[in-house]
Amino acid sequence: MKIDFKVNGRDYSLEVREDMRLLDFLREELKLTGTKEGCGEGECGACTVIIDGKAVNSCLVLVPEIDGREVITVEGLERDGRLHPLQESFIEKGAVQCGFCTPGMLMSAKALLDGNADPSDEEIMEAIEGNLCRCTGYYKIVQAIRDAAGKLRNGKA
Amino acid sequence: MPVDERELKSMLGGEDCKIMAGGTDLLVRIRSGRLSPSRIVSLARMKGMDGILDLGEEVSIGSRVTMSELLKCELIAASCPILPMVVREIGSPQIRNRATLAGNLVNASPAGDSIMALYLSNATVVISGVNGERREKVSSFIKGPGRTTLSRDEYVGAILLEKTPGYFPQFYKVGQRSAMAIAVASVGSLISGQEIRMAFGSVAPTVAVPEKACEYFEKAGEKFDDGEFARLAMLAISPIDDVRASAWYRSTVVKNLVQRTLNVWRKKG
Ligand SMILES: Cc1cc2nc3c(=O)[nH]c(=O)nc-3n(C[C@H](O)[C@H](O)[C@H](O)COP(=O)(O)OP(=O)(O)OC[C@H]3O[C@@H](n4cnc5c(N)ncnc54)[C@H](O)[C@@H]3O)c2cc1C
Ligand code: FES
Ligand code: FES
Repeated sequence: MKIDFKVNGRDYSLEVREDMRLLDFLREELKLTGTKEGCGEGECGACTVIIDGKAVNSCLVLVPEIDGREVITVEGLERDGRLHPLQESFIEKGAVQCGFCTPGMLMSAKALLDGNADPSDEEIMEAIEGNLCRCTGYYKIVQAIRDAAGKLRNGKA
Repeated sequence: MPVDERELKSMLGGEDCKIMAGGTDLLVRIRSGRLSPSRIVSLARMKGMDGILDLGEEVSIGSRVTMSELLKCELIAASCPILPMVVREIGSPQIRNRATLAGNLVNASPAGDSIMALYLSNATVVISGVNGERREKVSSFIKGPGRTTLSRDEYVGAILLEKTPGYFPQFYKVGQRSAMAIAVASVGSLISGQEIRMAFGSVAPTVAVPEKACEYFEKAGEKFDDGEFARLAMLAISPIDDVRASAWYRSTVVKNLVQRTLNVWRKKG
């Protein structure tokens, strides 16, 4: 079937397979391989993308569902070759080790900060509750998100 | 993908077709090979079924309303406070942004968290199909684990919850991890002066209501004894051993949570 949608600011109008997962569509058809697959069942959050402002697991979305909607993936964070403050803070605060969980974490964090400019640590923990990280123990990730929130509030974005 | 209820009705029935709301149960089951429907009818592009309406004594929740939308709704917070208490414990933000109450209900898992709130709120399921509309109480709608009275050509249009602002709501869930845990056991309750409503999750084939204990609470008066209440409450459960916990552990958890429910209520009252 044919659908119209937006990914990272760009408009598309494409013929898609009805039974394809959004995750596979992004990776295989649009070649946006930043979005990762961990579990394929909604548990790990590695596949998190933002649809119309809300963080969702792209492994649990079928492509036809994005008809008329806007998707943002980790590739959409960067602006004019500059990293997003969240990406900078993740690097600066050592919140990236193997990096597998990072794209998903960044998207959950972005969805949070877009709606809440000054979240408490508790709110940050809640926002990344659906993103598993086997390496960092989460503390540095929370620090990085708090740090990025500060930068964004001070207009250093 | 149907765009309204008329189209939806015409697409259901016949071959092995499945409705998809948030897909957080359905797509996981398809992926694991436990289910392979020949057709998926997604509600994603439907108009309607997405409202939360004040009906006076009841609140109507459309089948496409997500768990996240429920958590943001002031009407629900004020009139059915037990619902957000339970929904907040479901999955993760990503799951709650997609998952629906109707999907949780039709999935009819004994661990279905929101089903517990539906029992406590004396909920009515509004079912539609080619032959019109029918209504059924949640307790009779659910027939067993994964089984409801829904026939192939029917769908859930909305769920009506009785408003319970005068009740003191409590919900406790014990899982393996704090986030994302499917419950090992859960206990929910609504208490007002003389009346108690209580329900247990994950300790019987469906959500269980300890009716004898509730009657005792209402009749015992001065003679009320916590031990007797707990004993009667335990008659409602038939926990099993599974990968997540042993039956013995589950009963112990329920007993403790029942006691905690009484303690917290007294402290509050
Ligand atoms: C990682 C993860 C964590 C989870 N955590 C929890 C948890 O903590 N607690 C919990 O209770 N559940 C949990 N779940 C299960 C699931 O998210 C919920 O059951 C959810 O409410 C299902 O809603 P849905 O809209 O996604 O349903 P879907 O997957 O779309 O559908 C589920 C079933 O309902 C049917 N259906 C859906 N809508 C209708 C309708 N309107 N009419 C008729 N039939 C319909 C479908 O055909 C299907 O059989 C979790 C799932 C995942 C993947
Ligand atoms: S791959 Fe989607 S949540 Fe794990
Ligand atoms: S950095 Fe390795 S999983 Fe998070």
